[in-house]
This record gives sequence, structure tokens and C-alpha cells, in this order.
Amino acid sequence: MTPIVTFQDVSKWYGNVIGINKLTVDIGPGVTGLLGPNGAGKSTLLQLATGQLYPSQGAVRVLGQHVWNHADLNRRIGLCPEQDAFYEWMTGWDFVFTCARLTGLSRRAARSAAERTISSVGMEPHQNRAIGGYSKGMRQRIKMAQALVHDPEVLFLDEPLTGTDPLARRELMDIITRIGNEGKSVLVSSHVLYEVQALTSNIVLLNRGRLVAHGNVRQIRDLIDKHPHHIKIECDGFRQLAARMVGWDDVEGVRVIAKDRALMVETHDPDAFYGRLPSLSLEDGLAIKSVYSDDDNLEAVFKYLVEL
Amino acid sequence: MPTLFQFTNVSKTYGAVRALDDLTLAVPERAIGLLGPNGSGKTTMIRTLLGLIPVDCGTGEVLGLDFSRRQLEIRRKVGFAPEDECLFPHVQGVEFVAYAGELVGMSPIDALQRSHEVLDYVGLGEARYRKVESYSTGMKQRLKLASAIVHDPKLLVLDEPTNGMDPAGREEVLELAHDLAHNKGINLIFSSHILPDVEAVCDYVIVLGRGKLLAQGEISALKQIHEQAFDVRVKSNTGAFIERLSAQGCSAEPNGDLLRVRIPASASPQILWEAAAAAGDQIRHLRPQRSTLEEVFLNAVEKP
Amino acid sequence: MPIIDQGYQHWSGELSGQAWRWLAITRRGVKTALQGRWIRLAILVAWLPALVLAFVLCMWGLVERQSDLVETFKPFLTGLLGRPVVAGPREYRVEIWTLCFHYFLTWELGFIMILVLMAGPNLVSQDLRCNALPLYFSRPLRRIDYFAGKLGVIATLIGLIVIGPILVAYSLGLLFSLDITIVRDTLPILFGSITYGVIVAISAGLLMLAMSSLTRNSRYVALLWLGVWLITGTVSVVLIQVDQAQRSRAVGARYHRWDNEQFLSAELDAAKHDWRPLVSYTANLRRMEESLIHTNAAWQKLIELTPVGQRGRLMFNLVDTQYPWYWSAGVLIGLAVLSACVLNLTVKSLDRIK
Repeated sequence: MTPIVTFQDVSKWYGNVIGINKLTVDIGPGVTGLLGPNGAGKSTLLQLATGQLYPSQGAVRVLGQHVWNHADLNRRIGLCPEQDAFYEWMTGWDFVFTCARLTGLSRRAARSAAERTISSVGMEPHQNRAIGGYSKGMRQRIKMAQALVHDPEVLFLDEPLTGTDPLARRELMDIITRIGNEGKSVLVSSHVLYEVQALTSNIVLLNRGRLVAHGNVRQIRDLIDKHPHHIKIECDGFRQLAARMVGWDDVEGVRVIAKDRALMVETHDPDAFYGRLPSLSLEDGLAIKSVYSDDDNLEAVFKYLVEL
Repeated sequence: MPTLFQFTNVSKTYGAVRALDDLTLAVPERAIGLLGPNGSGKTTMIRTLLGLIPVDCGTGEVLGLDFSRRQLEIRRKVGFAPEDECLFPHVQGVEFVAYAGELVGMSPIDALQRSHEVLDYVGLGEARYRKVESYSTGMKQRLKLASAIVHDPKLLVLDEPTNGMDPAGREEVLELAHDLAHNKGINLIFSSHILPDVEAVCDYVIVLGRGKLLAQGEISALKQIHEQAFDVRVKSNTGAFIERLSAQGCSAEPNGDLLRVRIPASASPQILWEAAAAAGDQIRHLRPQRSTLEEVFLNAVEKP
Repeated sequence: MPIIDQGYQHWSGELSGQAWRWLAITRRGVKTALQGRWIRLAILVAWLPALVLAFVLCMWGLVERQSDLVETFKPFLTGLLGRPVVAGPREYRVEIWTLCFHYFLTWELGFIMILVLMAGPNLVSQDLRCNALPLYFSRPLRRIDYFAGKLGVIATLIGLIVIGPILVAYSLGLLFSLDITIVRDTLPILFGSITYGVIVAISAGLLMLAMSSLTRNSRYVALLWLGVWLITGTVSVVLIQVDQAQRSRAVGARYHRWDNEQFLSAELDAAKHDWRPLVSYTANLRRMEESLIHTNAAWQKLIELTPVGQRGRLMFNLVDTQYPWYWSAGVLIGLAVLSACVLNLTVKSLDRIK
């Protein structure tokens, strides 16, 4: 995997306040989620990556080149910022067209690019209205359009889905997934974990300016030793099943949830545990109706790693 | 079950836009989730409930009170936490909540005593003595919630309460909303775009679209269980597993990072365990397929 | 039970009637205003004319009683007011009290404008800026309660520096005269002054609220208020000067002297139909003051006491307030109605607010 965005020992201070602390991470093609509580340094990271800030220490490279003061590179980078600041009197079309022209496209190319992008975000019926009259979701979509209009190779999205209703959210998520599948690099920063989970399983987790975890969500989960996996198993003969499970070495706890006819099992070795299930289920009276871990997802990883 | 609010043939037009279109519905006293795309009339409906705007035609009641005639009484019994950030500036947290109570008609002493109680409940400890401008987003949201319940309303209306909050803050607000709705006997209307939040807090939803009612009902009833369809994830070697399943007469298709498997009518999930055992594989996720609230919503909205 | 539930408790207390809702807003507004260091200073300084008024009234009380304490001042008073006044003070009591209150109210008007400048702009524009209106109107609050509450803030502050001092000074003057007939003679002055205070409070309050509701930026409101106060005043004065210059050119330079009584009489006649003072906001207020406590009558009586050649100095005071009082009343009422319309348009309930 050729990294598209690289941070090498990057630190950034604002006076005495630390924004990013010795961050070394490579971000490759596809969609990557950027997560962290408030004040973790996500906005700083995005600003460093788009060349708006100069790192106090270390080097930031995008597409192999230093980003700072490199205007040409901006033609290949798209940014959808979090702030909601537009020229309110411009129409949606004007805005996207102007942004296209600003990236260096010729008039004709900019026109067709603007048309294409606006219809892809579903704003065609509203493109001739002033932005001042848009709802929050429409503004968000126009912001997305201006980030996509010049067909960038790297896309940075800061909270792209806030304020959008589920319909618009689905459309925008489809766009993001499609771009990721085309081999471009998309970095999505968001607080809404279930959205990030639907987009990608590759995450970068920050806390207090430092990198906490980087990689596939499930792999990270497996590595968190401190918290045993919680697995819920529904079975008619649940008490019998519980009696069997308590005898296993890797099982640390079994809780009976009588009203669901289910068990909540804690285990520190999920691999061994799951391995035993198929044969167990086929035994008499122990047919397992459902098994799932609500612990094996992004929310759990976030909660366990970012213990405040 | 007593009705929380009901509308009968209510219409409201803003210029060329028909915000509410002959809307008729009756909603029981529960924790209600209010869903709908942008421009569906959710905000207009909330404002009509509070008696803040007059309707062009139609009648309706909130908590048994006519919303075109007894608006002030309604607002005494309803607490509203609006979506946008709003403050009475340059006051301490506890003054903010006390002022909110005084505006409803509480005496200053009652309001102050009650505001401390309510701030304890939402979990703003020492921070209540600091000015509201210095609060984080999560704290401001909880403060807004506190100011909405200071006068002990019978109905609490929350408009996008978790917008833009980080996961920790969101969890706190949702926990409070759930507790108020289910354990403390306050009716709740929860309007949000973030469907998992609605699911976590409410048990009844109404879906609006273009000013009309598209769907309503208990969440558990709307999310149908498909008897013979399951979501499955295996550890590795998906191909071999699928082959085995097809051999048994099941169909499988990818669904995100899970497999959606349909088993024949007479079979039970054991068929999947057999296939896994035979393939030497582990099943790490097995659940009957249930539509998510998102599917319910999209189905309701995209119906022709 | 030994362990008490710390969670949410229900509350069943009494809610006050709708009529008192504005009081909560006024209370909060006054408290916020008084937190400002400069406003507290302004109020303190605004009481200085009140102290002077009280002092003068007490002095007059002593003069009336022909007390020994004021013997040393008698020559000075004789020179200022004329022998008849000092010789028989009781007859001129009403006039002197009227003029004392007149000077006090004139000074105080300046302080009122300053105080409204400091406390006023934030009243509605801050609520607009911080988007607090949904919080107000989602409670059982009508717009009239909101406006009454905000108006009450200005009225309270103005009351603090006008009505309070008037009452205190009146009582002190009464005490120092030790003569109950004063009440019979000067009660109209008291009521007139208090009515004037109320008129100023309502007029300035509505105007400031209307300006404050026009924009989110309090600084523009402050500038607008300064404009209304100072610029209209200046414009009015300029217009009057131009008019006077034209008149005196027509008549001849000989008469253009402020102690020439013929000239002054001509000026007074012309002033009876002069609309130019109406341009200045504060001049309108002053005109109302005159009509409420009848300063012109007081001046007139004093003028009759002075010998003919020396009346100019006193007649000069009459020039500003010759035109009919109902013209000013009309202007003030018109401004109040305009302010109310502006408020009605700008602060709507949540119907149009996003």
C-alpha cells in the first residue's frame, strides 16, 4: 500500500497548548475514519494535512510532497471543512463554479465539472437559489460539491454528514464509498461512530493530540486485552449452555439474561471461544439461535481506548 | 392509552411551501421519535404543538389542551430544548436555569432551589457556578435540557439534541433522555436525524414527509423479523462456507461486511452451524434479519 | 426509607399569573445592567444634580424662614433674584421651586441619555445575537410581556436617577421649610416632574428597544442612539440659527443683540410658530417638561419683577419653548408608535425564526 498522506513525527503547538504530539501515521488509499473526542487534535491534523498550518516539528507529506506553501498540490486535494461559512448571496451553482475556476479549470471545464458535481450530490433542483436560503443539509451538500468539483486524488472531509437527513446521508455516503473504491484516499473525520463504521473499518484514533490506534477496527479490538469480549448467545437451553461454558478456560464470566433466554459471556480469547461453538450447537438441546458481540465494533473500541 | 397529542386536518402554508398538508394523527403517551427528511414539516409541527404559530385550518390538542386557544397553558406544561445554540448570555449556569424557571412563572426562590436539583440530575456539578459561555458543547446541551425540565413539564420536546456532539457527550444526553422518558414519567418527543439515537431512546416513531404522515407505530413492530433470513459473519474462507450453504439449498449474498443468508422454509439455523462445523470455520455473528430503523424510514419516505 | 432517591424529582409548586411575567425579565435585566461598573458609576454621578437640587431647596427653605444661617448669602441672592424676591420669599415659592426643578430636570436629561446609551443597546440585540429568543418564546410568554419586561429595565434605571432623586429632594425641601402649606403650593410641581419622568422613560425606552431590535450588533445601536440624541439636536440648532440670521438680516443689524428687549420680543413671537425645534429629540422632551411644570409662567413672573431694561437676560430663557406643546406631544407619540411598529416587525415569535 503506497501511503498517500504521511505524517512523520509531527508535532504542533499553539503557544504552550499542544495540538498534535509526535504523530507518525500513514494513510493509504480508500476511506479512513479519523476519530477522537473533542480536543483530540483532529482539526489540527486536517489543517496540517491541507497545508493550512506549518508543523512545529516533523514533516507532513501528501502524494509524496510537502504540503506547506505548495499551491499546486491543492489542485489534487479536496477539503470539505467543518465551518459553515459561505458567501450567502451566491447561488449554489455560482459557488461551485467559482471554486472550480479557482482550482485552475478552464471556463468550459469548470462549467461541466460544476454541473456534474452538483447533480451527483443531488442539488440540481436548488442550484439557482441563493445559499442563504438553504437548509443545513443542502449547505452540507454544496460544501461536498465544492470539494469534489476538481476531481481530487485526496479528499479530506471534516464532519461531512452533520445536519443531513437520512436520505441525504445515504447519498453522500454512497459518493464517499464510491470515491474510496476508485483508489483515491478519503479521510473522514466524524463524531458519529455508526456513520464511520458504515463507511470503513480502517480508522485513525487520536486522543489528546497523540495517536492511540491505527488500523482495522476488529484487529484493534482483538488487541485490547484489558477488556474481555462480550458475546451474547441466545439459546433455549441457556442454563445448560452456561454450565458447559463455565468449564472452559478462556471464559471469564457468564451472565444469565433470563428474559431474552440468553447469556452474556465474557472471554479473553474470542478465537478459541468461537471455535468451539459450531460443534457445541449441534449437540442435543443446545441449538444456538443467535450469537453476536455488540462489543466488537467501533463504539466499543472508542470507549475502551479513550477512557477519560 | 391516553393521547399525547392529536392533529385533525391541520394545514399550514408558508408562501408557496405547504409545510403541513392536511395532517391527521393521534399519538399515545410514550417516548416518541419524530423522523422525517428536511423540509418534511417536523419543525413546523413542533411549533404548532407549542402553540407558537397559527395554523391555516384544522384543530388539534396537546395534553388535552387545544393548541389554538390555550397556548400559554400548553407552554406551561411543555419543556422545549431547541436545536440551535441559544443562551441568555453572561450568566452562571445556575442563574440560567433559574431564569428559565422564573420565565414560566416560578417564584425566584422556587426557581433557584429547583434549578440546583435539576442541575444535580443532569450532572453539572461545580460547573454550574461558571458562566455559560465557558461550557463545552456537551455541557451546554445538558444545560439546555436542565432549563427545559426545571418547571417539571409533562411533555419534553427535544429538537436534534445530539447534533455535533462527541460520542461521550452524546451518550450522556441520550441516557438522560431515556431515563426521563422511561423511569420518570415524562413524555418525550425526540426529533432527530440520527436514527440509532432515536432507537436508543424512543419506542414509538412517527415519520413525516412533505407535510404528511408517512408512517407511525412502535419501533419493535415496524422492524419486521424475517423468519428465514439471517445475517451471518464467518471468520474466514467465506467462499467455502457459501458453497456448503448453497449445497443445502440456502442463498447467500453480501450485505456490508456480513452475509445475508436465506434458509429453506423448513430448516432451522442449525443448518448454518452444520455448514460451519463441516468447513472448519467459526461463525462470529448470527442474528435473524431485522430491518433497521433506517430501512423503515427509507421505505416510508421513498414510497411513491 | 433510609436511602433517598437522588434522581429527578417532580415539582408541584405554584406558578404566578400571566400578569407578572414581565417582572422576571425586568429583574434579570436590571441585575445585569447594575453589574456593569460604568453604569453604577453613571448612576452615582447622576445623583449629583439631585444633591444640588436638594441643597438649593433646603437653602430656599431657610430663606423662607428668614433664618440666620443664610444671612451671609442674602446679598448674593438679592443680586441674583432681585430685592422683592428676597424680601418676600413666600410669594415666589412656587416660581423658585419650579425653576429649581426645571434646572434639575434639564441636567438630568443629559444623564438619562447617557444611561440609556450604556444600558440600552444590549437589551434586545444581545438576545438576537445569542439566539435567546426561542428560549423566551417557548415559555408561556407573550411578546407584550417580553417588551414590557425590557421596557421595565430602562424605566427602572431612569426611575433610579429621576424619580428617586425628585422624591428625596422634595422631602428634604419640605423638611427644611417646616411649612406644610408648601405641599399645597408645590404638589403640582412634584406630580408634573414625576409625570415627566414617566414620559421620558416610556419614550426613550421604546425608542431604544426599537433600535436595539434592529441589529445584532450593539455598537451600531449605541451609535444610532448617539445620532438621535446629538445629531438631531445639532441639526435643530443649526436650523434655528439660520432662521434667526435670516430674520435679523431682514430687520437690520441694530436689533441683533440678546439683551435688546425689542429684538427678544420679536424673537419670541416668531418662536411661537417655529417648527424647527421639533427636529431635536431632546428639545421635544424639554417642551413636555415645560408644559408639565409650567416653567414659562415662572419665568414670566420673575421677568415682571425686573426693571424694563434688564429683562433680556431672563426673556432669553423663554425662547426655546414658545411653540404649542401639543406639537411636541405629537412628535413623541409618533415616535412611540413607530417604535412599537418596528418592535412588532422585528421580534416575531418563532414563526419566522429558523
